Parts: sequence; C-alpha cells; structure tokens
Amino acid sequence: MSPEPNLPAGSARARAFRRILAEMLKIDRVRGGLVVAADGLVIAASVPRGIAVEPLAALAATLGRELEVGADRLKRTPFQAALFSADNGTVFLGSSPVGFVVVLGDKEVNIGLVQWALRKALATLEGAWGSPANVPERPEDM
Amino acid sequence: MGLLRLLSRIWDAITSLTRPPNPATLFRRADLYRQEGRFEEAAELVAQGLRLSPNNGVGHLLSAYLHLAFRQIGPAKSEFQSVLQADPYHPRALLGLAKIALEERDFGACRPFLDKALQYYPDFPEARALQEMVAGWVTAAGSAGQAAAYAGPALQVEKLKPPAAGREFVLTQADGTLVFSHGDKDGVDLAAHVTQVYRIASATLQRAGLGALRRGIVQAATETLFFRSNDRLILELSFPHDVKIGFGLLETDKLWTNSLRELGMRA
Repeated sequence: MSPEPNLPAGSARARAFRRILAEMLKIDRVRGGLVVAADGLVIAASVPRGIAVEPLAALAATLGRELEVGADRLKRTPFQAALFSADNGTVFLGSSPVGFVVVLGDKEVNIGLVQWALRKALATLEGAWGSPANVPERPEDM
Repeated sequence: MGLLRLLSRIWDAITSLTRPPNPATLFRRADLYRQEGRFEEAAELVAQGLRLSPNNGVGHLLSAYLHLAFRQIGPAKSEFQSVLQADPYHPRALLGLAKIALEERDFGACRPFLDKALQYYPDFPEARALQEMVAGWVTAAGSAGQAAAYAGPALQVEKLKPPAAGREFVLTQADGTLVFSHGDKDGVDLAAHVTQVYRIASATLQRAGLGALRRGIVQAATETLFFRSNDRLILELSFPHDVKIGFGLLETDKLWTNSLRELGMRA
C-alpha cells in the first residue's frame, strides 16, 4: 500500500503543469514525463505502462536535490537543466521553483530539441512564480 | 456533476463566512493546494490550522512537506520529528527523514529510517525504491565522510591531457574513492558529489527502464559539467557555461580515453 494516495488536481496551475507535460510528450521519441515537487510529490505525470510513477518520482527528486545541494556545497551556481543517458534512452531533468520537470526519451530522441523544449517549459514555470528566463527562439540557437 | 460541484463550492463559501474553519478542513484544503503546486497558499492554511491545533500530526506532516518544497531543510526535519514523536512508525515522516539524511550524505542514518518505514508498510513504493538504491551502495567513504585511499596506478595530469578550456575535472571509482582530481575545488568533496550524482542518476535510469548511466550533462548559470562513466569509473569535467555541447562531449571523451589508457583499462 502507499500510505498517502494522490488526489486529482484541478486548479489553473495544475492545468498548466499538465499542459507543459503534454507539450513535452508531443516531441518525437519522448516516452514520458513528470512534474515532481522537491519532496517527491507527483504533481503531474505521464509515463509508459510498466513504469511505476511514485518510485521514479522519488528518485528523480532525490537526483534533483543532489544536484542542487552538491552545487551549493561546491560553491557552484545552481543547476538549471541536466540530462543523463544510458544505452536505451535519456532522462532529462529541469529545475524550477515548483520542483523538477522530468522527461524520458528513448535512445533516438533529439536531445537538443528536448533541451530547448525543457528550457521553454522551465521559463513558463518561472513566469508563474516570478521572473521568466530567456530562452532562444529555436533549438539550434541554444 | 459540474452543477453539484458548483453548488457545493457556493455553499462552502457561504458557510465558511459564518463558522470558524476547523483544522481538519484547513489541512485537507492545504493538501489539495499542495498537490496543485500552490505551496504558498497551502503553507498559509497549514500555519492557520496549526495555530488552532498545535499538536496535529497531519498539520506537522504537511508543514514538513512544504518546508521541503521550499528547500527549507532544517524546519522540515523538525516537523518530521514532531510527527514521529506522536507516531514513531509514521512511514511518510520516516521517508522524509531518510531523504534528508541522503541529502546530508548520512547514509548510516538514512538506512534505518527506510527499514523502519517498510517494517509496517512493506508496499510503500517510494521508500522501497530508495531502500533498493541505497542498499547497493558500497561506501568507500563510510558515514563519517572519511575518504578511502586510492590504491591503483598514479596518474599524471600531463599524460591525461585535459582541455585548456576546461576548469576542473575529477575521476572517481564507483564506490566514491577519489582517483584523481585537477582544478581549484577540493578533490574529495568533488568526488563525493560526483559519486552521488552517478549513483542516483543510475538508479533513476534503471527505474525508467533505460539501462546503465553512460553520459551526463549538467547546465548551470556559470558552468556546464560533463559526465562519463562505466560500471567502475566516473569522470566529471567542467567548462564555462557557454561551451558548445559538441566540443564538451568530444573533450570529455578524449579525457576519458586517456584516463582509461593510463589506468590500464579497456574502453
């Protein structure tokens, strides 16, 4: 059992998260994605059948926090976006005030295009919380 | 259904004006806001609820979550501990403290929290995922942060030929043992962070069904970091933030190949 099941979200902000996710999922070879708070709470998710959302969210949030905390410890600037590739695909991770945007791509995914779309999504989230970041108009300008 | 919901909301709005809110209602609404990413509004409701019911476990748990969402680790820890004072086996509070211990690299403290959370709730997926990840870690450093000594062949920076544009680089074993570092950061601190990123990213990729970590790129405001790894070694090389990704990947591959050659390993 999961001690605290998630309830459906209904606000405009929750709809914005789902819209961001839907945009990411339109990219060719993107298999799934999630928006997860820094505490591991799943705010929006769409992952392929056979992948459990909560464990993946818990690990992704832990990874995001290590990138944040590690940068702070090493006196580096906070991370904005990251990607980690394996033989069968890539996990993309973006940092935002609400938490982390996670995108799963298969091994043929266009990494530059996802990075650009992720930056746009993060800028949208930043805008909802404060000052939006600048994102190049096209992926090739990044 | 839509009309009923609308009428219910109108009724709630009217009655809320005439009766004081009760803590349960406030916490329920706060939890809904939290799940919608409306952390500020949720935090206000939780604070209001805790003023009415200062020992409420649900309120303290929500407060802990919200502190974590705002990246306020100290207050989150205190709130999770408050929950455990009333219920020592509360799985969510135990998971929260386990995550904080992970962030603090206190693996000795992290494992018992997860074990305890799973003792009464064995099908708790988030705790199980973290427990499985942590269980596989062989600590070279140990919980006290003492670095293990590297016992392999010594490396010389000129033979590795690091790129002139690179800032610093570190090579570690998968267990966290520092092999070599170059640059102005403390090598042991850098190795500890790189190892943690490698471990957690590997677990995340495996959980997503994508396989073992091979490469990584981390982009920050002032630097871009490149990772390369196999099952035994991890390399991190940093460049200024405006480095071209293709150039960074190429230089990382060169440094990786040189490092393996010097260590007598096959690519």
